[in-house]
Amino acid sequence: MTRLSPAGLGLRLAVGVAIALFLALVGLPLVALIVRVAPGELIRRLGDPIVLAALRLSLITSLIATAVVVTLGLPVAYVLATREFRGKRLLEVCLDLPMVLPPTVAGLALLLAFGRAGLLGGALGALGVSVPFTTLAVIIAQAFMAAPFFVAPTRAAFGSVDQRYLDAARTLRASEAHRFARVMLPLAAPSIVAAAAMACARALGEFGATITFAGNLPGRTQTMPLAVYVALEGDLGAAVAMSLLLVVTSVGLLLALRSGGQGFFMSRAPARRR
Amino acid sequence: MLRLDVVRRLGDAFELRAALELARGGTLVLLGESGSGKTTLLRLLAGLLAPDQGRIELDGATWADTASGFGLEPSARSVGYVFQDYALFPHLSVAENVGFGLRAAGVGRGEARRRTAAVLERFGLASLAGRRPAALSGGQQQRAAVARALVLEPALLLLDEPLSALDLATRRQVRGELRDILREHAGVSLYVTHQPMEALVFGERIAVMAGGRIAQVGAADEILRRPRSAYVAEFVGLNLFGGRVVRREPGGLARFRTALGELVVADPVDADDAFVAVSPHAITVSREPPAGSAQNVFAGVVRELVPEPPLGERVRVVLATEPALVAEVTRGAVESLGLAPGVRVYAAFKATGITPYR
Repeated sequence: MTRLSPAGLGLRLAVGVAIALFLALVGLPLVALIVRVAPGELIRRLGDPIVLAALRLSLITSLIATAVVVTLGLPVAYVLATREFRGKRLLEVCLDLPMVLPPTVAGLALLLAFGRAGLLGGALGALGVSVPFTTLAVIIAQAFMAAPFFVAPTRAAFGSVDQRYLDAARTLRASEAHRFARVMLPLAAPSIVAAAAMACARALGEFGATITFAGNLPGRTQTMPLAVYVALEGDLGAAVAMSLLLVVTSVGLLLALRSGGQGFFMSRAPARRR
Repeated sequence: MLRLDVVRRLGDAFELRAALELARGGTLVLLGESGSGKTTLLRLLAGLLAPDQGRIELDGATWADTASGFGLEPSARSVGYVFQDYALFPHLSVAENVGFGLRAAGVGRGEARRRTAAVLERFGLASLAGRRPAALSGGQQQRAAVARALVLEPALLLLDEPLSALDLATRRQVRGELRDILREHAGVSLYVTHQPMEALVFGERIAVMAGGRIAQVGAADEILRRPRSAYVAEFVGLNLFGGRVVRREPGGLARFRTALGELVVADPVDADDAFVAVSPHAITVSREPPAGSAQNVFAGVVRELVPEPPLGERVRVVLATEPALVAEVTRGAVESLGLAPGVRVYAAFKATGITPYR
């Protein structure tokens, strides 16, 4: 083995320290959550009606929000991946915006769009629909915040389907719809599933936009993150138990995403050449 | 009948300019080095690329015509395309790959299954119907790709280097199968390769492509005897010079100016521009200036010695002239003349027996 120069040694040390600090930053809070709750305590807390209601609401709303994002996002991602048009760049920036927008600002924007005094408020009011502070508002807030986590990787997945397969399909009489259904979608599927899981995890953890736009009504708009926030004021044990529950659910989602194998955050392209 | 006359630019550096006519039932081999425009031509025919100028017509129907701004979608053309590395759909079974065109063309499920089965049987793929492409050998993949392209009985079959992805042993076996398939194909077939050997096996007619142009079209033996491109000349082992007559001399001789220098050759052509092919056998090599009757003598340094297969009894002597002149001598001559790279020699050949052609 060659002897390291002082500079090389210093670099190694710096990298080692950085890794240790990073692991502490990310891992320590998780460990703290886990060691705080006894297993029996966790199971007992699960019987709490408020916890149950929040968990149920969270799962239902985030699954519906994911379904909405997937249904509406697939065509958007496809068009972005296959077409060039004026204003495409601007549209892409707008689609990414919820990723960087402070969630409370997003909630406010949603209120101004769908609220009683908002842009669509009059039209919705005429139909007898009031969106804010309902379960529907929860779903809209989650879908709004989760959408970019689905659209961006799905667009990338469509874009990385090998052009040769699409060319082959074109010479075999396949219309664009046929090519989409039989070639593009199946080849991009692993990445799309991973993107949907990522969007679902984001929806599950959504807090700021929800509390601003949908409020904090137990049973109707109080999702798990909101319930955790409320419990923090009074019952720390309940807060910790619910947090751990959320962590477990999210870890499950991320594991599913990893076994899907070819996600956005993992660098494998879905339709590699042989 | 396929008629095409097209121009297509790719970037600033490349322009394809080609005109061809091809009758049904024939196979034309497009032979050329990579970058000569072969694949571009196939993509234009399939409709995967649009011409900048020109027309493509098949059996009287217009497929593309830039004058009227018309271009038929690839999916509306009766074309089968065998891609260079096959591009079999990796997520579909062999049967689904082969049947893909039928389903896409709207053939009913039962009918498609029946016809797919017949094609799989014909191509010896029936036992592999359920496998994914990744589980096939190279030869089997190649057959699946050809079967997929032929399942709709296209009027135009395009094959882009269909053997290049195969190892040598497989290639020899598959070549025979493929030749039979092409012979049976009732439509027009275009076969692209960069290997002159393959061109001779497959093509009744060969079109040599170079730099985006069709340099020469003709029967295989015509191409062999009278090459018009450096590429083919090198393959068949002829020294080829393009030249212009500068003076005609008594006794039926003509003096040609070529890149190598002036050549004196027998002169049956009346044209001013012509090709001159000199066989390496016709060139004698010596260490001293030759005293004989050869009119053409060039001095040069030996660049390399290449033994000729199979036994190396004959050796190609490549001279570092510009362009390189190649002579062929026996191994004995190499030894007695002391030939080795760097040695200065004289190459001589007679005017008679060298025939210029247009």
